[in-house]
Amino acid sequence: MPGSRVAVEHVSRSHGATQVLREVSFAVEPGEVVALTGPSGSGKTTLLQLIGSLDRPTSGAIHVDDIAVHELRHPASFRRDVVGFVFQLHHLLPSLTVQENVELTMVAAHVPRRERHTRARELLDEVGLGGRPHALPSDLSGGERQRVAIARALAGRPRLILADEPTGSLDSAASDRIWNLLVSVRERHGTTILIASHDPTLREHADRSLAISDGRVTDAAPPATIAAPPAGLPAENAESAGKAGKMV
Amino acid sequence: MTNLLQTLAALRRRPMRTFLTALGTALGIATIAALLAVAGGAQQSAGKFLSLGSSDLGVFQKDAADPTTSVLPVGLVSRLRTTPGIAAATPLILLVGDVKRLPSAIVFGAEPHSFVTNRYVFTAGHMFSGARQAVIGTGLAAQMHLQPGDTLTVAHRRFRVTGIYHMGVAEQDDGGVIPLAAAQGISGKSGEATTVAVSLDEATTRQEGIRTITHHFPGLLVIGDGVPASRAGVSSVMLSNLALVLAVIALVIGGIGVMNTMLMAVVERRTEFALLSAVGWSGVQIAARVMIEGVVTTLIGAALGLLLGVVGAHLLVGVLGAQEYVTPDVTAWDLGRALLVGVLLGVLGGLYPAWRAARVSPAQALAQR
Repeated sequence: MPGSRVAVEHVSRSHGATQVLREVSFAVEPGEVVALTGPSGSGKTTLLQLIGSLDRPTSGAIHVDDIAVHELRHPASFRRDVVGFVFQLHHLLPSLTVQENVELTMVAAHVPRRERHTRARELLDEVGLGGRPHALPSDLSGGERQRVAIARALAGRPRLILADEPTGSLDSAASDRIWNLLVSVRERHGTTILIASHDPTLREHADRSLAISDGRVTDAAPPATIAAPPAGLPAENAESAGKAGKMV
Repeated sequence: MTNLLQTLAALRRRPMRTFLTALGTALGIATIAALLAVAGGAQQSAGKFLSLGSSDLGVFQKDAADPTTSVLPVGLVSRLRTTPGIAAATPLILLVGDVKRLPSAIVFGAEPHSFVTNRYVFTAGHMFSGARQAVIGTGLAAQMHLQPGDTLTVAHRRFRVTGIYHMGVAEQDDGGVIPLAAAQGISGKSGEATTVAVSLDEATTRQEGIRTITHHFPGLLVIGDGVPASRAGVSSVMLSNLALVLAVIALVIGGIGVMNTMLMAVVERRTEFALLSAVGWSGVQIAARVMIEGVVTTLIGAALGLLLGVVGAHLLVGVLGAQEYVTPDVTAWDLGRALLVGVLLGVLGGLYPAWRAARVSPAQALAQR
């Protein structure tokens, strides 16, 4: 399944008097791996949460393909069927086994038990943990837990992966493994991946990068690109979007 | 089904947390079970108090505040004896709290050869024949270490024990009998009786007897064995109401306990529910998980709570020093009720926490590190 197109248009988010995001606009094309870089507190996490419907913008619009995320009143199916989250802290449920954690999204989607088990095992194989389906999160290292979290994010066959500091708490070897895993996911499934990190070296792994500072995206795609219709993006705009944002 | 199995597995893998959550619920259910048992015991004690053992019916003054305050003229006895269907009638005085060393003992004032006392089976000695003599039940004899020839003091009056009887009725075996005239003197009811015990002839059923007496003597209250204590008088009604109040208090305390326990469990695991929400679980699915968990832990807690409740009821009575008056009555029905109530509380008490869990903001909960 191809990746999703993401269009963020003039999005602001404030908590009381605190303005976390200010008029943010950018677009991500299907299958792109885009890095959101910036210091802690710059608004990266908030932006990912808004795109993933974990939060709602104070103003502005967010479209993932033809879905108006900012208007979703019941976002469960969107989170289940379209998006896969990877958090800095893996947030695995401590009382469930590795396999059961991976199956959580499929349980929500009422996937039959046998199919669920098969798919979870395949995903664990994919992230290199096929031999430990019955381990508890407490039995795993930090890197292994994050790989389980990636398998869980892939379980719903998402078109968009939102990863918030996925290597933030890992050493360099474990970080490299996570990056290679995410890149391979894009290569195999064409999934769009949006990664937030304060690590500037992230750019080496991404197709392009967007810098966020003080709630503003400072090197986003031009407005003409993001104003295009969410679905069926004209070729010239898609091309210009790619050129405008490409950092490699 | 998957939700249920996963929830059960999760509970099994967190034995300490499951135990502590169940314990919180258990304390609530234990409170219910203990108070219901004590209340039931109090009611039953009242019922037994009114049970006149071998007599078929007991006749009391209508609307007396308490059976012991009933006052009937002894002359009523001869009129009752001539009433159709009645084989025998004998006056009785009830003295409560007059045995200083054992205040719970009930002492009856009775004629020595009435149909009531004639049914006593003596294990030692014989029925009294003098004015300052008494017979006592096996329970009272054992508790006060009395034997025939010893002295029983009732309201500062000394009676020589001439015999020890056994009736199989706790309230009578734990009490004694003194001559009617002596009891009248103690109670200040000369020429009066507290109650008249009535024996029906073989052709008359208890219901017929009650109807007949009530018809001929509208000012009397007729009590048969097994008649609810609440019909006996104002105090018994109050006792019955007290039992109801205790049960309601137990429900409120237990309910709050169960709900608080479950709410704490939800608050403690906000991140977990936020994660479920983030990976696509609907509010209903999350709430269902909380409810399943609540019911399962409540069932575990209920089993533990019933055990604690039974033990707690006896401790409560002991701490209150009321063991002489109230024996906690733990019946299968009480246990079943407490279990049912506990599960209902688990469901009802889990509704709000489940609603809270379903509304956890994933953005806020997952951002907390």
